Amino acid sequence: MESAEDWLVESLRLYQDFHAFDLSGATRVLEWIGDKGVFVAGYESLKKNEILHLILPLRLSVKENQGLCPERDFKVCHGGFSDASVFELKHVPDTRLLVTTGLPGSYLHVWQVAEDSDVIQAVSTIAVPEKEGGLWPRVAIFSSMAPGVLHGVRLRSLKVVDLESQKTTYTSGVSDSEELSSLQVLAADTFAFSCASGRLGLVDIRQKWAPSETISPGAGAAGGRWCAEVGGRGPGPSIASLGSNGQLCLFDPRDLSHPVSSAQCSVSAPSPDPELLRVTWAPGLDNCLAISGFDGTVQVYDATSWDGAGRQVEPLFTHRGHIFLEDNQTDTAPLVTTHTWHPHKSRTLLSAASDASLHVWDWVDTRAAH
Amino acid sequence: MPEIRVTPLGAGQDVGRSCILVSIAGKNVMLDCGMHMGFSDDRRFPDFSYITRNGRLTDFLDCVIISHFHLDHCGALPYFSEMVGYDGPIYMTHPTQAICPILLEDYRKIAVDKKGEANFFTSQMIKDCMKKVVAVHLHQTVQVDDELEIKAYYAGHVLGAAMFQIKVGSESVVYTGDYNMTPDRHLGAAWIDKCRPNLLITESTYATTIRDSKRCRERDFLKKVHEAVERGGKVLIPVFALGRAQELCILLETFWERMNLKAPIYFSTGLTEKANHYYKLFITWTNQKIRKTFVQRNMFEFKHIKAFDRAFADNPGPMVVFATPGMLHAGQSLQIFRKWAGNEKNMVIMPGYCVQGTVGHKILSGQRKLEMEGRQVLEVKMQVEYMSFSAHADAKGIMQLVGQAEPESVLLVHGEAKKMEFLKQKIEQELRVSCYMPANGETVTLPTSPSIPVGVSLGLLKREMAQGLLPDAKKPRLLHGTLIMKDSNFRLVSSEQALKELGLAEHQLRFTCRVHLHDPRKEQETALRVYSHLKSVLKDHCVQHLPDGSVTVESILIQAAAHSEDPGTKVLLVSWTYQDEELGSYLTSLLKKGLPQASS
Repeated sequence: MESAEDWLVESLRLYQDFHAFDLSGATRVLEWIGDKGVFVAGYESLKKNEILHLILPLRLSVKENQGLCPERDFKVCHGGFSDASVFELKHVPDTRLLVTTGLPGSYLHVWQVAEDSDVIQAVSTIAVPEKEGGLWPRVAIFSSMAPGVLHGVRLRSLKVVDLESQKTTYTSGVSDSEELSSLQVLAADTFAFSCASGRLGLVDIRQKWAPSETISPGAGAAGGRWCAEVGGRGPGPSIASLGSNGQLCLFDPRDLSHPVSSAQCSVSAPSPDPELLRVTWAPGLDNCLAISGFDGTVQVYDATSWDGAGRQVEPLFTHRGHIFLEDNQTDTAPLVTTHTWHPHKSRTLLSAASDASLHVWDWVDTRAAH
Repeated sequence: MPEIRVTPLGAGQDVGRSCILVSIAGKNVMLDCGMHMGFSDDRRFPDFSYITRNGRLTDFLDCVIISHFHLDHCGALPYFSEMVGYDGPIYMTHPTQAICPILLEDYRKIAVDKKGEANFFTSQMIKDCMKKVVAVHLHQTVQVDDELEIKAYYAGHVLGAAMFQIKVGSESVVYTGDYNMTPDRHLGAAWIDKCRPNLLITESTYATTIRDSKRCRERDFLKKVHEAVERGGKVLIPVFALGRAQELCILLETFWERMNLKAPIYFSTGLTEKANHYYKLFITWTNQKIRKTFVQRNMFEFKHIKAFDRAFADNPGPMVVFATPGMLHAGQSLQIFRKWAGNEKNMVIMPGYCVQGTVGHKILSGQRKLEMEGRQVLEVKMQVEYMSFSAHADAKGIMQLVGQAEPESVLLVHGEAKKMEFLKQKIEQELRVSCYMPANGETVTLPTSPSIPVGVSLGLLKREMAQGLLPDAKKPRLLHGTLIMKDSNFRLVSSEQALKELGLAEHQLRFTCRVHLHDPRKEQETALRVYSHLKSVLKDHCVQHLPDGSVTVESILIQAAAHSEDPGTKVLLVSWTYQDEELGSYLTSLLKKGLPQASS
């Protein structure tokens, strides 16, 4: 394939490190466990899916003498089978437990990663009160002495369930039927939610429902579907909200009434599957974001000098590997299903696509003096 | 009980020391005879005492099969055949036969000369061992003896690597050795037909990995070479004569062309000669590859790659040199290394495993100060890069191969059972085969149900067909015949034919039973009563009253006679042949119940 060879030559200049893998099934999950392991899981609806605990290739995790380390392969450390498709997977910190969610959305599944063998075993299920056809509950974990699972399909069905006793310890208590698109635990008692409409909120579970919220940004404009992520390093805003039309709004958590800045990302078309939208903050770089879910690329942006005008911005870097290294000559171009940043290697990302490819890449920042 | 037994030999769970014993239908085969590269003592050899403690190995083993030339698959072969003692055939492919002795000799030199080991096999032993080798072609069925046959399949991985099918009658085992399912620039992917063996034996070492793509490995190699050359450095790539070297050359050539680079690339002449020689011999092996190469007649007609002269090593400016031997243990590559090691702009790229005791092994372990001959200390300032290019199948690859061959069961060697439970489940669920994972030294016994073909004589078949009632195709039908086993040939014939063939006379067995009846009338009347009774009861049978007064039911004869002492009692003589036992007994018990009162 001519273009693949060309791209590979280009890649010498674009990337420091680059690894490409083929999973046995595509994943929408890339969840870290420590800084050396990730979980991936299949999302097929008609056959069994695999949940895998993968250990990063030694060459990527070793800190010194990288050149003397020839191992470039992922190691499958643990594996398990799920009949349900897995759209989200959360590791319960300080335990060997995992919680998964997907379609059909009537249960959350709890898994145990075995200690003395390589099996991931199903342990229990958590019933989801509100069962609705094509919707599935989002999940986040409150980690503490007694871990709690925050989950919900809509704002009204948001609740926290104690993992062990399965007793409900918190409910939103509202009748609002807005559909959720993401949940994120921020601290021992606070979490952030985002709705498909673009509405964002920060909630303190010690109080009755009184979130500090936004007015949905997409309501007046093109609409579309939104997702959000809280994170960010550096002095700027730390909440990013991404719309399926490519609009990116940044908020300051202290005042959610208006976005601090916004931009129109360089996407050629709205996302064909807005449920795959993903926006992440770089843990090791200031004001740096990555987005995916529009096509076969992952784009990295520097939001430092953005203003409130919603102007078109150019990415700092675009990862095109999933398009160029596609092996099967199928008609449908691959779509990036998820991506994540390495916890401490500042420019290393992992990205997965619908063709079951998994890339690990470390892009070269051309602005930095070499 | 027909069964297949498999025992991986040796102690320890590590990779290396591949050596597997298979017993199939009374034949014993040893698969590979590898060396464990991590040990310097006896632990590096497989434990051959598992095979037999007292007897001679030659008597016990029917053959030895070597899958490819890597030392962890053939390194212990001379030790096994010449020092432990084995004189039977050793099967391997032609390239393996050509390359094995070279690697074994290299290894021997390092062990004895560099590490001063005693009790190691000698050069002569390597030669004597290779005399026992029988080379095979791909897909050629080789008869080891009357019953045992083997066949080699293309495995990819390295030049000459093969997977072997071992067959005795209808039972077979396939051993994969090392293989890979994705083609590279000079080798194709492994391939096997739907041979449906009872068992497929494969390595589990890479079964739990997900391999980085070949393109990314190549990319990394190009990037490193480019970086070194850009900063004016010299790059040394120690290689073995074959295989990987060609691959890397093709890669660099393509890259140099595209990037319009000017730094010279050299290939040491010793390499060229050897490589050309092997290339001509084994062109069919490299031609298996799928992607076309631009190399036409001569493997080394590269635009940008030239023959090396040792004087060039001192030329200023950047360059890339491919030189032998591969582990930097002697010769040209070591010479060049010594010249270039002191400059941090330079780079050495090791494309494979290096045996302990070699300079290659030392620098890959991180050593930066080397003691050379004459107590000279060499400081290594050049950049050292370890790259792995060897192609192995990963989890996905194993599933693909098992899917191609469709075995009944899969056996994984060299892994820890606890660490492979998920893989076992995956194989069992997705491919619907049983999966075994023995530890080294542990024997796995697989029951088999071999099918024994039996020829049914046409005469017998015709007779059965003639016995009325068309056979229901779905129901089993009982057939009587004689099984003749002669010269591994099984035939089912009618008893008469068997007797004729064997020249035996047929014996007739006839039974006669007396049934006493109370009947004062004459015998003829009694006989008539019997006839009427049987005629009415046995509607499905042919009951006849013969002119001489006797009654026949099919072929059974009933005669009435007067009792010698009691005129009121009649004696019925019921007589039948052995073949009619069932009916005869039935008639007897029926008659014993008595006859109904005569009407009119």
